[in-house]
Amino acid sequence: MRTKRQNLLETINGGNPDRFVKQYEFLEVIMEAPLKTRPQPGGTITNEWGITFSWPQGQLGPFPVHDEEHRVLKDITKWEEIVKAPSVEFPDERWAAAIAHANSVDREDKFVTVFFAAGTFEMTHMLMGMEDALMALYEEPDHLHDLINYLTDYEIRYAQKIIERIKPDALFHHDDWGSQAASFMSPDMFAEFYLEPYKRVYKFWKDNGIELIVHHSDSYAANLVPHMIDMGIDIWQGVMTTNNTPALIKQYGGQISFMGELDSGPLDHQEWDPKVIAEHVERACTTCGKHYFIPCLTQGLNVSSFPGVYEATSKAIDEMSKKMF
Amino acid sequence: MPKIEEVKVGVQTGKTKLVAGLVQEALDEGAAPMEILQAMIDGMDVVGDKFSKGEIFIPEMLIAAKAMSKGVDVLKPQLTEGGAASLGTCVIGTVKGDLHDIGKNLVAMMLESAGFNMVDLGVDVSSEKFLQAIKDHDEVKLVACSSLLSTTMPALRDTVDTLKKSGLDGFSVLVGGAPITQEFADKIGADAYAPDAGSAAKKGKALVKAG
Repeated sequence: MRTKRQNLLETINGGNPDRFVKQYEFLEVIMEAPLKTRPQPGGTITNEWGITFSWPQGQLGPFPVHDEEHRVLKDITKWEEIVKAPSVEFPDERWAAAIAHANSVDREDKFVTVFFAAGTFEMTHMLMGMEDALMALYEEPDHLHDLINYLTDYEIRYAQKIIERIKPDALFHHDDWGSQAASFMSPDMFAEFYLEPYKRVYKFWKDNGIELIVHHSDSYAANLVPHMIDMGIDIWQGVMTTNNTPALIKQYGGQISFMGELDSGPLDHQEWDPKVIAEHVERACTTCGKHYFIPCLTQGLNVSSFPGVYEATSKAIDEMSKKMF
Repeated sequence: MPKIEEVKVGVQTGKTKLVAGLVQEALDEGAAPMEILQAMIDGMDVVGDKFSKGEIFIPEMLIAAKAMSKGVDVLKPQLTEGGAASLGTCVIGTVKGDLHDIGKNLVAMMLESAGFNMVDLGVDVSSEKFLQAIKDHDEVKLVACSSLLSTTMPALRDTVDTLKKSGLDGFSVLVGGAPITQEFADKIGADAYAPDAGSAAKKGKALVKAG
């Protein structure tokens, strides 16, 4: 039986996997690594960028607060005065848990993985609000380019630090680029603003020891796949059923792999049903096949919003492995 | 190209720096303010259709709405004198427990461009707050409610239920949001469902006209 790492590589390289890769099993995400203050359920925090997040009790996640009082960047032409990237210097004790975790991982079996969020596009709308971030594409393109480069430089500084400390094998990088039905911007506009900065940052990660780049965008983004390939993404995690994943695999398999096809919305809710999950897993596995595809909930980490859903999904994938391998 | 057609195309293509001047030129040439306004609404209809079909994206819709807003600023004094046509008031908000505002804001923008006077209650809006807004404003013809999470779908159901059983009338209820479907909208008794901002404007207009 292949290790999780071997099986993943066989799957994304079109080789001979001996089972389906089961969701996030190949990634050991080092969440202890210092980055920035994370919102917690039921609380409101302001992080090191000055962005305020609220997480209502009982809801699925945090939301940036963009009322007049809390929006960080109200005029993008003044971004250099307002936006101050936090330091990437953390004392040894802040790294201790992350280093211990990374050292405990059997790297023959799993990829020691950096978690990085939010990506440059999300950062622009977390700082400015979505409308302003998208209007700036037309109205203040030069300032937006400069801000994106500044955010990219910050990520590279952070990458240097974490690579020194834990010598990761993989990067799990969040940046949502669309809604469930469409990308937020056209592929041409995406290329104009985000392609080169992402090529720069992902090249830096890869030039410094990262073997695998897994990018999370739980959305429609089929029209952006050529750019994903160009920027060096190995696996797009979060691919929703709206993308027609089997067609994407047929067209782009071998250049990029797809991880998802199990939309969290209809599966991960209060009244979740293991039978429904099993039906969806069967559909996903039979339509997408054994290569360039990893069945996975579209959620952006190895958890579910409702207890038991992630595990039931994994169990259903095991069943499909028995049937199909 | 007739000036009024230039206004329409200017809105459609998001010419934020030109539309105000084009509207003024159209007025100077003797076009009726209502005719110019209708040209801009028609331009936004085209934008909404293209968005629904995936031919354009959110930035293009935002920039077109901003262009229209610049044109409306020039027209406003004239429209007030002549009595602006309106589809009535629309109360909009994201339901209790849900802080998503992007989709709701896009829908508000498109409904405003279609001719509604908007009352935007923001996010995390209780059903009582929706009711109060209907009481507080004249001519509420449409209430648009958004839910973006499977966990806030019950709040959407409660809101629609509260509105329908309130004894207040004269308005329709339009619902939408990522997890919402036509089937769910029917089940909770909403008058209409819109899958995106472009079709929300169409549905809103249709509801009022059928009214």
